[in-house]
Order: sequence, then C-alpha cells, then structure tokens
Amino acid sequence: MLEYSFMQNAFWASIFISILCPCIGIFLVLRRYSMIGDTLSHASLAGVTAGLLCGQNPVLGAFVFTSFCGALIEFLRNSFKKYTDLILTVVLALSVGVAITIISSGKLHANADSFMFGSILTVTQTDLIMIGVLSILSVLTLTFLYHPLLYIAYDEEAAMIAGVKVKTINYIFSILVAAAISVSIRIVGVLVLSSMIALPVATALQLGKSFRQTLLLSITFSIVDIMTGLFASYFLNVAPGGFTALVSVAVLALVLLGKKVAVTVRTSLENQHSA
Amino acid sequence: MIQVKDLTFSYTGSPPYVLNQLNLEIPDGAYVSIVGENGCGKSTLMRLILKFLKPTSGQILSSAKRIGYVPQKNSASEDGFPITVFEMMDSYRKLLKLKDKQETDANLQKVGMLPQKKKKMSDLSGGQCQKVRIARALLGSPDLLLLDEPSTGIDMQSQQEIYALLKALNQKNRITVIAIEHNLNAAVENSTAIYHIINGRGHLCTPQRYAKEFLNSSKGENFYA
Repeated sequence: MLEYSFMQNAFWASIFISILCPCIGIFLVLRRYSMIGDTLSHASLAGVTAGLLCGQNPVLGAFVFTSFCGALIEFLRNSFKKYTDLILTVVLALSVGVAITIISSGKLHANADSFMFGSILTVTQTDLIMIGVLSILSVLTLTFLYHPLLYIAYDEEAAMIAGVKVKTINYIFSILVAAAISVSIRIVGVLVLSSMIALPVATALQLGKSFRQTLLLSITFSIVDIMTGLFASYFLNVAPGGFTALVSVAVLALVLLGKKVAVTVRTSLENQHSA
Repeated sequence: MIQVKDLTFSYTGSPPYVLNQLNLEIPDGAYVSIVGENGCGKSTLMRLILKFLKPTSGQILSSAKRIGYVPQKNSASEDGFPITVFEMMDSYRKLLKLKDKQETDANLQKVGMLPQKKKKMSDLSGGQCQKVRIARALLGSPDLLLLDEPSTGIDMQSQQEIYALLKALNQKNRITVIAIEHNLNAAVENSTAIYHIINGRGHLCTPQRYAKEFLNSSKGENFYA
C-alpha cells in the first residue's frame, strides 16, 4: 500500500503528527488546558475555510487563524482571570461562527468536509512540505524551551523567580499548539483532533516514572495510535480520524486494565509471601 | 537588606488597602517571621517583595543578589505531575543557568534528600516535598530565602528538621530568612524578629516580646495602639 504516493504522503504526515502532538499535549494536559486543544481545533476549521475562500493553502490558513486564536486566548486570560473557561467559549463562538458563515455562504469552491473527519487521500505534496516544516520548527522550539515550559507547567512562580519570561513563552506556546493542530487536521480531522493531543499523554501518565519517560511514552503511544488508525482506515475504507480516536481509547483502556491486573497480582503475591 | 518604605497596596488600586503605609527594615542575616490572621496581607507582602505584585504606592528596596523562594504546597499542580526529585532540581538549575552539575546533588544532600532523588515528587510525604523545595531554593547560593508557611501540613518530626535546617542556614551560612508563619511557636523559637500584620498595619517586635506580651495578652488588636 505504501507504493501509492497518497499513502506515502499520509504516512510521513502521520509520523510528523505523532511526534509533535504529544510533545505539545503533555504540557497542555499537565497545565489542565486540554480543552484549549478542542477550542483551537475548531478554530483551525475557520482557518481552513478562510484559506480555501482566499485560494490559499488551507493548512497555512489554519495555522494563521489558529495562531491568532491561541494568542487571543492568552490575551483574554488577563481580562477573565476568574472565568478562564469563558475565554474558550468566546473563541469557540468566534471560530465556529467564521467557519459556518463561510461554508454556508456558498462561495467555497472546495470541499471542507475532509477536514472535519480527516482523510488519507487529500495530503498533497505541498501540504506535506508545510506539515514537515511546521513540525520540525515546532519540535526545535520545544526542545529549546523544554525547561521553561516544564517549569511553567509545574511551578509558574518558581519559573518567574528564575527569570523565565512566562507571558512571552505562553504566547510562543500558543503558536506551537496552533502549529500542531494545523499539521494534524488533514489526517485526523477537526472533530477528534484534541483527543490526539490528550489521549497518548493520558495513557503515558499511567506508566511514566519521570517527566522525560512520560514524554517518550506519549510519543510511542501516539505513533502506535496514529499508525494503526492510518493503516486500518486504508483497509477498512473509513476516515482515519475516527478510527485513530477509537484506537487511542482502546490503548488507554488496555493500559488501565493491565495496570489494575498487575496491582492485583502483586498484592496477592505479597499476601502469599507474608502468609 | 530589605527596606520597605511607605508601602501601600490594594488589588483595585484604591481603598480599602490590604497593606497600609508599611515601613520595615530587615538587615542582612536576620530571620524574620511574618505573622497575622488569615487574610491580613502576609502573602501579599511576600508577593510584593518577590515583585509578583506592584505597590499601589511606596517601594521595596532589596540588596539581595539572588532570592530563593519556597512556596506553599501547590497540590493542584503537584498531584500526579510526573516529575522526579532530580528532574525538578536539575531543570531549575538549568533555568538559573548554573553550570556546576554537582550543585543539584549537593543541595539535595544538604536537606537529606539525596537518597530519594529518583523518586517522583508526588510519591513523597509533605515534609520530604518541603525539604526538596528548600533544596531547590538554595540553588545558586541565595542570600535571601523567602518561605510561605514552611511547616503547614507537615508532621512534627519533619517540622523540627525543617526549622533546624532553616536556623542553620540563617546562622551558619548567613542567609537572610523571611518566612510567613502560622506556627507561632516556631516563629518565636527561630526568628530574630517578628513582623505582625494587623488591619493592614505592620508591627516589628522581638520574639521574646511577642511571646510574652502578645500571645498571652487579652488586648488583641489594641495591643499596638
């Protein structure tokens, strides 16, 4: 199946996604910001439709609009300190409003549906270059900002005392989230995109004994989830986004079950030993 | 030295003020405990010293070259966070741009937590976590150590160890210590001075006077009048 060029494009795009998404996701999950992923994935749909309307690359459109919304969330955080969830509602309303208005206007001469559910057929060579460049730049930035991001997530005040420019890094991180979402929408689709960011991390958190190990496990689970979803969608002729989400939930359930069984076995062995 | 001059603060910028016209001088090498009722402005004063907040009026001058800060336990971020003691320390060393890799282990050794360095922070007891936070605050050899309720939620044995450590750091290493205290006995036993905040006003006194006259006084809020 990898002899088909569309499958090769999808394969490489999936590799980029499965590395970038958990790298972003681990910081979102640990900062209790998982729902930002959901809001920004809806923002990406508005960017896609705006890009298609203007005759631009939809991935680029998604990146620009999602970055704008990510920065807007950071900016509004100062105005709604006590109601931060309201910010997501505001940005969600703006994004969905833009997307629905453009789609329903009838001026769109392209199909935006594939971005809703994800598709392995639609990743073009241009998309792949865009996805590759955004992913590599994002991973390099994350590597450079690894310690500040870790500390902002763990203890923001300590980070501030150490001289970390928390506000600036939060804005940069918003753009990184936007990049991760933009590169993922082609394959995974808007509707289940946030689960790609959060679920591998949720699974890794069950097993990780350190931050570094949790990050590496998140990437491993993400590769397993997305690759299984990609190949299964080819053979089953279904949208890859939905099936990848199902695989992610199944892997999480298996890990939780395995953990429970391991604890039960260990306890019974200890009881036998002490008896 | 820390110099607080005519410091006034309110979160809205207008009355009522949380802190009203505070004046305070803390010499190098002092151990000052800040005490007072809940909501009296102790943490606000500390956040002002740390420059997390800006004074409504007045100023705080500090000659400290490096500040170490030990926050109150933040269960929201710490519970379940997959970070080891070593990662927590070493990552902070890198943020401070300290080149000596040995400093991480050396500071853990100081607080007796080196054997636990591979453990996750969330698997430690409250007392052990607090010792690690103190070890982190000592990275880069600070000359000023700020602590927000160092013994809250910690067992008696660990409390004694922590206060012995703070006293040693203050007396042997000449680190100036400013601690917000709910543990009034610890404040009296360890401090060189006590700064008592009542109704937005601050009052500096010796631990002996505070113990003898205020703790046993029925005068309450009118004591300093």
